[in-house]
Amino acid sequence: MTGSPNLSRRDVLKIGGGLAATVGIGGSLAACSGGNEFEYMFWGSTGEQDAIEAMLAGFQDTQEDLTIKPVYTPADYDTKLNALVASGNVPDLGYVQPAMAYRLAEQGKLLDLAPHFDEYPSLGQRLPGSYFYWEEDKCLGTQGANETVITFYNRAAFAETGAQPPPASAAEAWDWDTYVENAYLLTADQSGRRPDEAGFDPTQVARFGTLASMWSGAWYGLLLSAGVDVVDSSGTRTMLDSPEAIDMFQKLVDLMYEHRVAPSPSQLGNNAPSMAVQLASGRLGMAIDGQWALLDVSQADFDFGVGVLPSLGTPKTTAMGGPTAIFADTEYVEQALELYAFQSDPDQVDLFSSGLWMPLEEKYYTDPEAIASWTDNDAHPPEYKTAVIDYTLENSQTYFTQKLRNVEEIDRLITSTTERIQTGEEDVATVMGELAAQLNDGMLQGVYPSAPQ
Amino acid sequence: MTTTTVDRAPTRKAPPGPPGGPRRRLGRGEARWGVLLALPAILGFAIFTIGPMVASLIFSLTDWQIGGDPQFIGFGNYVEMADDPLFWKSLGVTTYYTLAAVPLTLFVGFVVALLVNQSFRGQSLWRTVYYLPTLVPAVASAVLWIWIFNPDFGLFNTILRSVGLPTSNWLYSESTAIPSLVIMATWGFGNAMVIFLAGLQGVPGQLYEAVALDGGGAWAKFRHVTWPFMTPVIFYNLVTGVIGTFQVFNQAYVMTEGGPNNATLFYIYYLYTKAFTDSEMGYASALAWVLFLIVMVVTVVLFRNARSWVFYEMGDAR
Repeated sequence: MTGSPNLSRRDVLKIGGGLAATVGIGGSLAACSGGNEFEYMFWGSTGEQDAIEAMLAGFQDTQEDLTIKPVYTPADYDTKLNALVASGNVPDLGYVQPAMAYRLAEQGKLLDLAPHFDEYPSLGQRLPGSYFYWEEDKCLGTQGANETVITFYNRAAFAETGAQPPPASAAEAWDWDTYVENAYLLTADQSGRRPDEAGFDPTQVARFGTLASMWSGAWYGLLLSAGVDVVDSSGTRTMLDSPEAIDMFQKLVDLMYEHRVAPSPSQLGNNAPSMAVQLASGRLGMAIDGQWALLDVSQADFDFGVGVLPSLGTPKTTAMGGPTAIFADTEYVEQALELYAFQSDPDQVDLFSSGLWMPLEEKYYTDPEAIASWTDNDAHPPEYKTAVIDYTLENSQTYFTQKLRNVEEIDRLITSTTERIQTGEEDVATVMGELAAQLNDGMLQGVYPSAPQ
Repeated sequence: MTTTTVDRAPTRKAPPGPPGGPRRRLGRGEARWGVLLALPAILGFAIFTIGPMVASLIFSLTDWQIGGDPQFIGFGNYVEMADDPLFWKSLGVTTYYTLAAVPLTLFVGFVVALLVNQSFRGQSLWRTVYYLPTLVPAVASAVLWIWIFNPDFGLFNTILRSVGLPTSNWLYSESTAIPSLVIMATWGFGNAMVIFLAGLQGVPGQLYEAVALDGGGAWAKFRHVTWPFMTPVIFYNLVTGVIGTFQVFNQAYVMTEGGPNNATLFYIYYLYTKAFTDSEMGYASALAWVLFLIVMVVTVVLFRNARSWVFYEMGDAR
């Protein structure tokens, strides 16, 4: 390049220094922009985003010197949180998946809430199964909200077919045969034939009676009702190869391929409409799903009801919820604890009355006035008290993924195994035997204390 | 036909002069400017590529869960891989996908490029139509194909059913999941096609005339002119295709989550779950380096093998 100006070493240093200063000032400005900022990180639907941000705005009104910053992360939550942990840039408070929460707690990244239970009674009086203890006396927190698994149904479909609606109390829970009989009544092909009638066309089903979900949250209550669990009390031996468990999985497979009252995975499709849409459109008669679906179901324009799960012996369901945790690095412990209590108060967050969440404190399941404060509205049907509240209090057990160690690897293996059996092409006993062999070969590493001691 | 005369000027030698004279000072100034202007790219490469690579190499020698302290374990992660069934499964799945998707995409891309290289009415329109799928965002494309593959109401089974042919479970069966994704990958042959098309337009026309004068037909033109001239382009598409396909991720992430029963557990998707679901960054780094070595070896083999079938007009050009 002819005629280009020569740069002395000093010029180069000046330019380099200028660049460095620019980067440095920019970085400093970025770092300083927070002030007394308190970050609350969470996932969820846009509806949940609105509710959480409204709750945080309410809490903000009680704070003079602190700016509450919602960090809404609807996708790749674990990826982002992992990156923040690795860079030492964690939020003050946030949702955390159970397995990651236990790991972070063991690494000293999360605040132990146990010493604060006396100071904040609403933290210490929650449902026993909602706590996450990583050691006997160390608690990383509780679920952000409670959830349980129930049966949803379309009342019109039942009235039209003469099927009996699912019972609304645990004492009257259907046995499996009754459940299947009613599913038969609800299922019909395009010509109106039922699966037990000649000429039924399984490729042209207008309405399925039910779903045979292989998601562990959906079948865990059924498994418990059969008298077995995923693991024994030590958490080191699985019971998924027990005759009761094999029978339970076979029953689910039979719903799809023998009785043909539930869609197979291929009939359902990866991008199937939500359960609420399928119920509302009459594509489904009933479905076992999480209580949180009440938000969508109640907002869909159809007459719905809720009931307890069918029982294989003793009526049982599962209770679950992701933990919310305070990060140990927060400079605002007192405010974090206040917000922790505030966020689970049905008076502050409308997600309880809208049907998405269930409260954590026991009084909301036992005190009629407290119960009315979150259920006396259009989202909660009349039978909700017995079918969900009493059922949760008296017949639920905490979801196994909330207390098992090494649960990510275990869950991955269970998921891939149930994907095998839901094709209906493999022998359930053989597949479950293979699963058990792998789980018992060192993958099961015990359980966390989980509930308060 | 025009001819070009190349002016072969004698090689100039630098005029003699004392070291440190005006010419040398000018060269030093240019060098500084060169370095300065290249600095952003150099720094970007060093900070965002070399730096993370070195860091991941170090992490791969540690047992490091995010949030904890890395413990040096030497080649422990690499040894652990030998006993990790999902490592082998993901490697097998990715290799199967690569071996099927790359040749098929190149073949289809090449054939279509030959077709749209002909002079016909609506040539530009067809070129655009064939290229369009590559412009569809990955997630939108995935959602579209989820519908196409739906066994109950998807496009493929609807067509098969309507003509009385047996249907398939496509993504929902272990045996057909990867072939289904290969079909989907082939749909995106547009990139390869465009590069082939550029290559075809660089084939000297006079060589076709020469073949015609010698009495050669279409096959002779293809065999003795088109194919040799296109081999560097095919080689380029092959190498980039293999490297890209070994890193396939979106299909597993958006469409299958690695299922059913790990049938689509692509290597990068497995690496991602180890890093960000299990938080095992040390093991994930080791997985990344093994993939890097595999891709490097495959690329070297392809380059060595290329000497026997790739024709370069410039003789020894590589």
